[in-house]
Amino acid sequence: MSRWSEIVGATHVATGGAGDAVDGLVPACVVRPASAAEVQACVRAAAAEGLALVASGLGAHLDVGAPPSRRFVLLGLDRLARVVDHQAGDMTVTAEAGCPLGLLSDVLAAAGQWLPIDPPRPRSTTVGGLIAANLSGPLRASQGRVRDLLLGIRTVGADGAVVSSGGRVVKNVAGYDLPKLHVGALGTVGVILEATFKVRPRPAREEAVVIACRSVEAAGETALAVAAGQLVPLWLEVAGPGGLPEGPRDGAAVVVGLGGIAEEVEEARARTMDLARARGSGAVAVADGAGLRTRLADFAALPAAAVLRAGVLPAEVAALIRDVTARASASGVPLRCLAHAASGVVRVAVPQAEAVAPLVAALRPGLEARGGSLIVERAAPAVKTGVDVWGDVGPAMGLMRGVKAAFDPAGLFAPGRFVGGL
Amino acid sequence: MLSRALVTRLRAVVGADGVIDRVESLLVYECDGYTLERAAPEAVVLPRTPAEVSSVLRLLAAEGVAFVPRGAGTGLSGGTLPVGAPVMVCTSRMQAIEAIDVANRRIVVQAGVVNLWVTNAVRAHGLCYAPDPSSQPACTIGGNVAENSGGPHTLKYGVTTNHVLGVELALPSGELVQLGGAVEDRPGYDLVGLVVGAEGTFGIVTRATLRLVRAPEAYRTLLAVFESVDAASEAVSGIIGAGIVPAALEMMDRLIIQAVEAAYRIGLPTDAGAVLLVELDGPVVGLDPQAERIAAVCRASGVREIRVARDDTERAALWKCRKRAFGAVGRLAPNYCTQDGVVPRTRVPDIVRRIAAAAERHRIRIANVFHAGDGNIHPILLFDERDRDEVERVLAAGREILEACVALGGSLTGEHGIGVEKMAQMPLLFGPDDLRAMKALRAVFDPEGRANPHKIFPDAKVCVETRSPRRQAAM
Repeated sequence: MSRWSEIVGATHVATGGAGDAVDGLVPACVVRPASAAEVQACVRAAAAEGLALVASGLGAHLDVGAPPSRRFVLLGLDRLARVVDHQAGDMTVTAEAGCPLGLLSDVLAAAGQWLPIDPPRPRSTTVGGLIAANLSGPLRASQGRVRDLLLGIRTVGADGAVVSSGGRVVKNVAGYDLPKLHVGALGTVGVILEATFKVRPRPAREEAVVIACRSVEAAGETALAVAAGQLVPLWLEVAGPGGLPEGPRDGAAVVVGLGGIAEEVEEARARTMDLARARGSGAVAVADGAGLRTRLADFAALPAAAVLRAGVLPAEVAALIRDVTARASASGVPLRCLAHAASGVVRVAVPQAEAVAPLVAALRPGLEARGGSLIVERAAPAVKTGVDVWGDVGPAMGLMRGVKAAFDPAGLFAPGRFVGGL
Repeated sequence: MLSRALVTRLRAVVGADGVIDRVESLLVYECDGYTLERAAPEAVVLPRTPAEVSSVLRLLAAEGVAFVPRGAGTGLSGGTLPVGAPVMVCTSRMQAIEAIDVANRRIVVQAGVVNLWVTNAVRAHGLCYAPDPSSQPACTIGGNVAENSGGPHTLKYGVTTNHVLGVELALPSGELVQLGGAVEDRPGYDLVGLVVGAEGTFGIVTRATLRLVRAPEAYRTLLAVFESVDAASEAVSGIIGAGIVPAALEMMDRLIIQAVEAAYRIGLPTDAGAVLLVELDGPVVGLDPQAERIAAVCRASGVREIRVARDDTERAALWKCRKRAFGAVGRLAPNYCTQDGVVPRTRVPDIVRRIAAAAERHRIRIANVFHAGDGNIHPILLFDERDRDEVERVLAAGREILEACVALGGSLTGEHGIGVEKMAQMPLLFGPDDLRAMKALRAVFDPEGRANPHKIFPDAKVCVETRSPRRQAAM
């Protein structure tokens, strides 16, 4: 402990407690550095003591990933919380890893801008967590994901050196695109210190239309029809029975997010309502589109035994939801599905711990065989011990092992948390 | 020297016409669009399929021979210069469009498919491939992936990396590995994102799975004429500040306006200080209100005149003068070279002033045409290669401009790549630890350093014939 106190000061070191557990494993201690130099010293100290490091922001997304495979120190980055630089005219923002998205969005909103990524639990999500867990929400349909908006990154490597890559300009091909290495890597290749994003003007208006459909198939067809049209939805979700927080318990629904200037939103709303009517479906306009979207985003972090996330082609979304729904009826386990329809991401909330492993075993092989995936995105610690969280990543695994070995040869960073036990 | 036995074995893989090794035939391959340095390979191999690429690389691996991948050779940073690599592997015969999935907006193409063919193949379905470099009638998808190419419409739609979902990569060992694919969100490291823009130093991309986008319902294309670059830059800031992201926002200065007008005669005002080409696209209902707001911003910045393309023909004419601006430069001087620096977009007026100062200091002429919305500049440095002193002054001015870009918080290259051209300047952007991390990544894919060696990194030993610059072949 004294070693850590020397680095960050005694008040920022604590013995790990149950509240600090990662997937049920309690860290040796919790250390909260406040500068890049302190993070560097922590990395070197952990290496010297033979301890692993698991980085954390506000702890809102530590339930993503597999349990750490060895004794670790929780590296709390919440004191690195500044918005470093917002250049409104350049539409870029630089923030420290522990900066909460709430703070970031307040700064951007003052200039009519946003970082258009909408993870669950946004107010307690930090910039570092957003990148490391590759979080996304409904907005990805039109705004892209972290990989599309991240311009540059500063990290600390396994040898304690600060490594910068990318830059602060919106277009840049100098050197390898190392920022992408850290996106979704769950902190296994370095500690994120700071990141620069491209930001966008926030749409003047955001509304939504909820279309109630008789069946999942009808919802799937309606969603494809919306996507094929010219109205360019800001986001597009398909819900199976019970998938909408405020929707019907049976039947399915399509939720279309509409954004832009007033003229665009009004026209899009009219076209969407017409499309629904022509298909014999009822449609309701929702004035507070952003509010509804936030509630839909929270589906990914529902209190459930597990939330599974499947990746399929957009045209396969309805078939998967129908399959899951049929299994729910057959087994009596109420499974709820909500999908980012345009991106082919289907989430399944599983209420009972014992239902998780059989469902994964039933769905995963077929999805992987078609080039898709099924991961246990979030689950209670007990659930994770009985199931492979990530599944088989296929022939690219060899290169991924090589990447890990190159950037973290001693397994210092979040060992065991990522694909293939990395 | 390559052994005769190896050449014979390569011919057995790719056919007798698939290996070029006659000295006079190799001259075509001694440079790409970057002509300041030249080196001819000992042999050019033209595989017809990904499997043949794999076989070729296995043969080269067995003898430890280094290679340079090449598509159409339209690159502008010397990325295909065969330095320390006797064999060039050219993907231009791999032209199959293998699968089109309209419902999911995906297309699978081989590396040698030309950028524009992708859009042509899906246009009837109302789709298009968004990245549109000016060389799009010639450049290949394989080259686009290697360079992470951009184009005027990247302001709204993003660059190549935002549209590549998967690649098949032939590793230097010859092993073919599929990375990513048609489905989003595969678990694991984003290896696709690392391969895109790696300038061919990880191996040879043989196939790519690309994302297609809906072709816009309508366009509004405006040409705004200003008295000065400063006034036009102020309008750019105003447009961005008004919360409008046009599909494209391009600027041309007086020298390039004069050249374009002389070449294409579309009635551009040759006494104007700068023109902005602004394009909006999307649902028709939003276009007129946004065009009116842009016009208002331009008026507030003292615009002299705004012309709106009334139909597709007029739109095409405006884009022709932008995309073929480089071709028109031949009227200004016998030779030119182009830079690709980036500055934060609010610093465009600063970099334009610094470019003008560099031109004056080195007594050369520089024309400017650039992606103003992105801050990606393309100063065109004019010269006569017979004037050796002028060539030296052009090189010095080019270096100063890139240094100024970095000093203003920008980058050495927005879309052309580092190649051999800008290797020496990499330390302006990256320290030793940063470069070491990049090299560590490269070694994962190419432990022997045989894929496109002597590129990107500043300590790469280059030993090529530096000739006087010539007119660039393509842009």
